[in-house]
Amino acid sequence: MLRSIYYILAHLLEWLVIFFMVLLTVVVIVGVTYRIVGNSLSWYDEIASVLLAWITYFGAGLAALKRRHIGFDAALLSIPMPMRMVGVAIAEISTIVFFAIMTWAGLKVLQVLEGEVLVSLTWLPIQVTQAIIPIGGALFIACSILSLPDYWRKTAAGISLEHADIEEEVETELKKAGEAS
Amino acid sequence: MLILFIFLVMVALICLNVPIAVALAIAGVIGLVGFEGVNSLVSVALDMYDGSTKFSLIAIPMFVLAGAIMNAGGVTDRLINFVSALIGFVRGGLAMVNIGVSLFFAEISGSAVADVAAMGSILIPQMKKRGYSGPLAAAVTSSSASLAIIIPPSIPMILYATAANTSVEQLFVAGIIPGLMGAAGLMAVAYGFAVKYNLPVEEAFNFKRVRETFIDALPAFTLPFIILGGIFGGFVTATEGAGLAVVAALAVGFWYNQIDFKHLKRAMLDGGMQTAVVMLLVAASVLMGGFLTRAQIPQELAAGILDLTSNKWLILLILNFLFLIIGFFLHSAAAIILVVPIVIPLIVAAGIDPVHFGLVVTLNLAIGQQTPPVASVLITACAIARANIWEVTKVNIYFIAVLLAVLMICTYVPSIPLFLVEYFYR
Repeated sequence: MLRSIYYILAHLLEWLVIFFMVLLTVVVIVGVTYRIVGNSLSWYDEIASVLLAWITYFGAGLAALKRRHIGFDAALLSIPMPMRMVGVAIAEISTIVFFAIMTWAGLKVLQVLEGEVLVSLTWLPIQVTQAIIPIGGALFIACSILSLPDYWRKTAAGISLEHADIEEEVETELKKAGEAS
Repeated sequence: MLILFIFLVMVALICLNVPIAVALAIAGVIGLVGFEGVNSLVSVALDMYDGSTKFSLIAIPMFVLAGAIMNAGGVTDRLINFVSALIGFVRGGLAMVNIGVSLFFAEISGSAVADVAAMGSILIPQMKKRGYSGPLAAAVTSSSASLAIIIPPSIPMILYATAANTSVEQLFVAGIIPGLMGAAGLMAVAYGFAVKYNLPVEEAFNFKRVRETFIDALPAFTLPFIILGGIFGGFVTATEGAGLAVVAALAVGFWYNQIDFKHLKRAMLDGGMQTAVVMLLVAASVLMGGFLTRAQIPQELAAGILDLTSNKWLILLILNFLFLIIGFFLHSAAAIILVVPIVIPLIVAAGIDPVHFGLVVTLNLAIGQQTPPVASVLITACAIARANIWEVTKVNIYFIAVLLAVLMICTYVPSIPLFLVEYFYR
């Protein structure tokens, strides 16, 4: 059950990240082209920034699901068992509490922003663009919980996720290089 | 007291492997509540939104994407062929090729790890076949890939420029001469090893072969052309140049007919995720920045150090030590976002050029990528070479010494890195 939710969420987030990356790329390229021909678009900066925020929080959720955020695991892994797992529990709870605060604050802000619109695109409510904060916060919590069992097992076994990622990347590239030659 | 508590909480959370961005944000929240009370918690949402919408940082996803597309698009092989034809005739040719290609390639994208994996997986096995020891092959690959973070376009430089509120274009220009100096130094060390172990030359110099491989690799050179020409010439900003780099990378991929939907999808995904990881750090730093400003920490630090000495060379020495030590434990993006906002008032007060200091910071972090425990580039190279990290480090010390020498020269003779900046911009 948990595994299938994991895969569905991973797929969904992957496509959202790809969608917003494509959109941002197109917006930047169109913006540059218009600026070079001397006809700058008024909405370019504002929309590109909003898209960056959406990529940030969907991507951050995905990175939480895959445990790819920048961290420092050497100290944690050097704590003897079973104290190490107490450390993991404290770390996970702290993370979830922070994103719960962010989600709550995000919802509060949305209420305050009722009726406000973007400066350059007056048909687009700020509530829509800022909604990424509560959405992103809730997503991060869900992704942390879903990826916890695997992280818990590996940390208990003393396996560094960063090293495992590097091994995986190296394997893929070596295979690719092998096929090419 | 509160400040000390917040600092300790942050360090403790980082040691428990809480993502550094989250540890930073939690410290920021505690600071916010400590100074302004629980009612101010709403501004967590505002800060986290503001931090993730910094327009100047749009260059990051664009450069990461351009690099990922280039990686997938058949550029690596062609560059290796060209550089091999150009300098493969030197003793230890493959090591020279490795360093030469790195300069161009390794930090096109934001992930030095992905680039080392792509390039190293072709070159390291070849090097081992030709008689290079695994540790030597890994050390050459790793040190040259790290040096490349001071050569434009560089994600750490973009982050620094935003954190220090200085010009990213000038910082890019400042990296060129030190980058070339470092490459020359690394090649000299590699040559020394080649003579010592009697390593082979690759191919006799043949002008026809150089011309052929150059023409084959020519489309790949559009990227530096856009970056060097467009950005330095003042035609486009760094962000616009980054957008054009994506177009160029796509065009090159289609030209070589090696890009397909699967590769493109992976490039988009890798680019998006790497961007998100860095941007979450930036967003969290805005939250933390609020606390730092309220607590006047950067100003007090600046005043405290200036009380001890106002000699800017001594201050640079202290900061060099600080960043070298930080580089042992933190990834470059995290180190910049965490430390630069704190030391910038000191830099300004001591009369140090922020562009000069940006280069010093980036060089320090390049060295930091070579020193365990946190040394993802080194670990990647070791994984490909199937070499023990300590064995590699024994060889790598000589290459690290070159990077340290470049750091010292750039720190104490600012006219060298700033020569081109003066020429183009001042």
